[in-house]
Amino acid sequence: MKMRACVTALLLLGLRACLSQDVRHHEDDEEDEDVMFQTRAQVSGRALVPGVRTRDWISSARVLLDGDKHVGFIRDDGSFTVSDVPSGSYVLEISSPTYRFQPVRVDISSTGKMRARVVNYIRTSEVIRLPYPLQMRCVGLHSYFIPRETWVWSDFLMNPMVLMMVLPLLIILLLPKVFNPSDPEMRREMEQSMNMLNSNQELPDVSELMTKFFSAPKGHEKAGGGARGHRGGAPAARGGALRRKTRD
Amino acid sequence: MAWLVVRLAISMSLLYTASAVFEDQVGKFDWRQQFIGKVRFALFDTHSQASKKLLLATDKNVFASLNSRTGDLFWRHVDKTGPEGHIDALLMYGQDAVVVVGNGRLLRSWETTVGGLKWETVLDTGSFQAAALVGVQDFVKYVAVLKKSAISLHDLSSGSEIWVENLPDSDSVQYQTIYSGGNGLVLVLGVVPNSHIVIVEYKIEDGEIMNKKSVEAAWMSSLESSCAVVSSGILLCVDQITQSLYTLPLQSAEQTEMRQIHLQTLDLEVVSGFRPVLTSTQPNPAQPPLSEFFLQLSPDHHILLQFKDGLIAPLRDFNPAYLAAFATSGERTVAAVMSPKNDTACSINLFSADTGRRHLDTTIIYHMDPNGGKPNRLYVHAFLKKDDSVGYRVMVQTEDLALTFLQQPGRVVWMREEALADVVTMEMVDLPFTGTQAELEGEFGKKAAIQDGLLPMVLKRLSSQFILLQAWLAHLWKLFYDARKPRSSVKNEVTIDVLSRDEFNLQKMMLMVTASGKLFGIDSKSGTILWKQYLENIQPNSVFKLIVQRTTAHFPHPPQCTLLIKNKDTGLGSLYVFNPIFGKKSQISVPALPRPILQTLLLPVIDQDYAKVLLLIDDQYKVTAFPSTKNVLQQLQDTASSIFFYLVDSSQGKLSGFRLRKDLSTELIWEVVIPTEVQKIVAVKGKRANEHVHSQGRVMGDRSVLYKYLNPNLLAVITESTDTHQERSFVGIILIDGVTGRIVHEAVQRKARGPVHFVHSENWVVYVYWNSKFRRNEFSVLELFEGAELYNSTVFSSLDRPHPPQVLQQSYIFPAPINTLEATLTEKGITSRHLLVGLPSGNILSLPKLFLDPRRPEMVSEQSREENLIPYAPEMPIREEWFINYNQTVSRVRGIYTAPSGLESTCLVVAYGLDIYQSRVFPSKQFDVLKDDYDYILISSVLFGLFFATMISKRLAEVKLLNRAWR
Repeated sequence: MKMRACVTALLLLGLRACLSQDVRHHEDDEEDEDVMFQTRAQVSGRALVPGVRTRDWISSARVLLDGDKHVGFIRDDGSFTVSDVPSGSYVLEISSPTYRFQPVRVDISSTGKMRARVVNYIRTSEVIRLPYPLQMRCVGLHSYFIPRETWVWSDFLMNPMVLMMVLPLLIILLLPKVFNPSDPEMRREMEQSMNMLNSNQELPDVSELMTKFFSAPKGHEKAGGGARGHRGGAPAARGGALRRKTRD
Repeated sequence: MAWLVVRLAISMSLLYTASAVFEDQVGKFDWRQQFIGKVRFALFDTHSQASKKLLLATDKNVFASLNSRTGDLFWRHVDKTGPEGHIDALLMYGQDAVVVVGNGRLLRSWETTVGGLKWETVLDTGSFQAAALVGVQDFVKYVAVLKKSAISLHDLSSGSEIWVENLPDSDSVQYQTIYSGGNGLVLVLGVVPNSHIVIVEYKIEDGEIMNKKSVEAAWMSSLESSCAVVSSGILLCVDQITQSLYTLPLQSAEQTEMRQIHLQTLDLEVVSGFRPVLTSTQPNPAQPPLSEFFLQLSPDHHILLQFKDGLIAPLRDFNPAYLAAFATSGERTVAAVMSPKNDTACSINLFSADTGRRHLDTTIIYHMDPNGGKPNRLYVHAFLKKDDSVGYRVMVQTEDLALTFLQQPGRVVWMREEALADVVTMEMVDLPFTGTQAELEGEFGKKAAIQDGLLPMVLKRLSSQFILLQAWLAHLWKLFYDARKPRSSVKNEVTIDVLSRDEFNLQKMMLMVTASGKLFGIDSKSGTILWKQYLENIQPNSVFKLIVQRTTAHFPHPPQCTLLIKNKDTGLGSLYVFNPIFGKKSQISVPALPRPILQTLLLPVIDQDYAKVLLLIDDQYKVTAFPSTKNVLQQLQDTASSIFFYLVDSSQGKLSGFRLRKDLSTELIWEVVIPTEVQKIVAVKGKRANEHVHSQGRVMGDRSVLYKYLNPNLLAVITESTDTHQERSFVGIILIDGVTGRIVHEAVQRKARGPVHFVHSENWVVYVYWNSKFRRNEFSVLELFEGAELYNSTVFSSLDRPHPPQVLQQSYIFPAPINTLEATLTEKGITSRHLLVGLPSGNILSLPKLFLDPRRPEMVSEQSREENLIPYAPEMPIREEWFINYNQTVSRVRGIYTAPSGLESTCLVVAYGLDIYQSRVFPSKQFDVLKDDYDYILISSVLFGLFFATMISKRLAEVKLLNRAWR
């Protein structure tokens, strides 16, 4: 019963919401009519895709000002004009499904003066002038796809884990074949070399020095340890992250 | 610091690959269909015989070229919406097409083979009246544009203005048409309604007025609809009141009044109430029009007439005939006439224009779609055959905006459903089980009574297993059979009969409701239209709401959908109930709705036939239930006290909440008034009913849990200020509990204005607005949390929530304009969410919700790292890899629909606007199925390798043991 009391009705979007939409449309129209008396400018420029004939790409490209508030089309020679643009500041972009262009901000003053500058959404008042009439140069193809991870032998072999396993294996297998430890001559030689290494007893061990150096401030060592733990456990952490993400 | 970067890189790379498309997935589970809209002008390229071009201009401000052999688009230019992009006229000459755009504001010339712009000229403002090509000495060189008060002449090759002249007395005279017969003059025809006609002659070279005269015509109200120019400059008008035709030689000086010819003398009569239409043809703009013309006397009566030596003679009477059109190929002009054959078919025949004689063997049978509308336009493409006879193809446009292209003897070459260019709303419905699947289900259904006993049950079980085996064998046989056939001949035809639910419920039925009143059922996997239904008598300003009342889960009850059609002006609505799988109208009686409907409400209450109950609230706050059986009414009485609904009245800025009473009347519980002088309600959104939230909270860095505020009754109300000044405008958001009317949260974004797009889901609201100070789009996210403790963990009640939620908010810059916004939806809500953003460029961006998290820290700390929070950055990234539709752009995307599939990882997405695009997205990658590129070969080779290695080593070990034993 308690459950039922708390089952609340599904609330659906009011049909009247569309009325409000209508209202908005009307006001847009009025605004546009006001704008009609303002100066209307023409934004012009030229778009260029190096190495591609214009006729191959212009039919699918459009010039857009602030979304599709104003639309222009590109001519056979790559030039374009967007007519009837009221004064204001606009972001002009060339939308093409294949080629990528950098957007440009175009400012039109109330007297019809034009200025083109680099688009900066964070510092909007910053002015880095660009030539006007606009020169839109293609900056490359759109990269919509990411490459598949492919399985290559070299990747497998160069994997540190594999290297770590393979090298000791080689040493274990090959070293006894290279020299025979039961050979007395060899044994003597080895002992000599060991003595050589340990000859300088007073010199502190490098590893000891390092531990001392790093353990000096206590807290720091701990943090470092934690960090190392993290790094070592990167795949696990990653898995954890994924798990948490899915839980969300 | 280094490891921080590494961690960040890892988390970023995770996101990076989160929902990208691989190149080999192109077209695998996605498709796009491109549309153009309702055709206003259509011209066939008759420049060369082999040309396949068909130029179309539509009411969606689209100018496109179609391949007339296949119906595919060669190219398409989408202009801006609204009257500024409206195409007023389309003229074609040679390889070029001249288009007048935006009430005569722009004149554009297109090169039609590649679709490049040749030139564009801005014309003076003024309301557009007519445009015509003007020829001099058999060459078409100019285009003339007539405005309300001026006429201008432009060069066809460069667009440059030759001259522009103001029209005399343009305040009193309505100039409506231009005529040029290739004799060095342009004639402008105007009318003073019910008084006289004005004819002004301009010289082509310099625009000098050569002659101006006015002719008495007291009966005439408009030139455009009732007049035509035939023969060598004879103005011909028809009037239904006096039942007569009037003729006037335009350039003769002596005749100063129109000559009246009674229709009775020709044995003709206009049907009362019908406005007769004259159709003439001018095959070459540099030459005068033909002397033959069509006169339409009633909706299905046409007559071909000839004007000769001041006399009008009937050539052929077409009764009944729906449509008639002229077409010209070379020097020969023909007329195609469509007449009804029987109830379901029409026949189209070709007649020679100059004699009215029928061409033999030219009949095309056009079968009318019983679920479609009547044909209303006929476009004819005539061509000369090798034996010098005239062949033709026709394109028929129907009321429901279907384009059918036919050739002899009635073969449908292609068909386009242009109604789909204007999808209003849509739903996705699960497909039903196949017959065998249903049979298996039936075993456990109602019919399988337990009293059957053990043995019959076993037999049933065995028989159903046998059916399964049979189906499997049939499937295998089909596979084998298809494999033997050459690939090209195997057609993957999708019909309703073969459709059934797949393993993961990835294939669904898309129900699309279009503005023209045509409903479509589309297979989501292939995009094939499985059924269509044209609802006649739909007002053009109707609003639609589609409701799924019964899904396919209740076999043997058929699924049931209800469409509420509401007239926007009167508010009166009607219900249309249909089966979403087959598109058939249901026989269920629907309640009459005599009063305007304000709100609809789909309850989780089901009747004995498993249909959810739909409540309709009218303007007197009375509730109508559908279905309204006794069972339903009983249930409603029991649960009435817990059924709440809300109403929005944006004109008065009023939000009000109501509760249902036992007698299906309502009582007002709360009311919130938002003063309309300051701000107006733009939109109200609740949460989606089919949304699941898997986790109740978020695990924090310190292992405590931050519980989400999951109020299913929460409404997000968006308001905009009435003051649109840049400094004073604002956008407000109010979160209101729909049951109690309590305002949970309120936020205002200053110096901001709409259009606002927003998504309300789970415990968050994401909205986008335009920052008018910095002139950029900004995203803002609101998240609501209960805190570290959950007040009542078993169930949520709006009436018992003493603590207000904690609200977190953050805003970001979005470096692109936005058309629409939607969130992904999955079966159980385990998968992370993405936002789907429709951009004006046509791309659909899949933006991880992780970027819109108000807990993104400005300073990175150990805890925020533990939580995998991305450090705050003001600008939202847009990566091209996140475009789910790669280069398959969706023009003018207006809505995105998301639906869960049977796989938790997968969300089905349909974006619609001018085009329709269907795809799947995997917000957390495909974690529940093997990847597409899963390396079966490697795995199996490793397995086999290991297997053989063990075999061999076993053998070797045996040999070694044996040897050792011998030693």
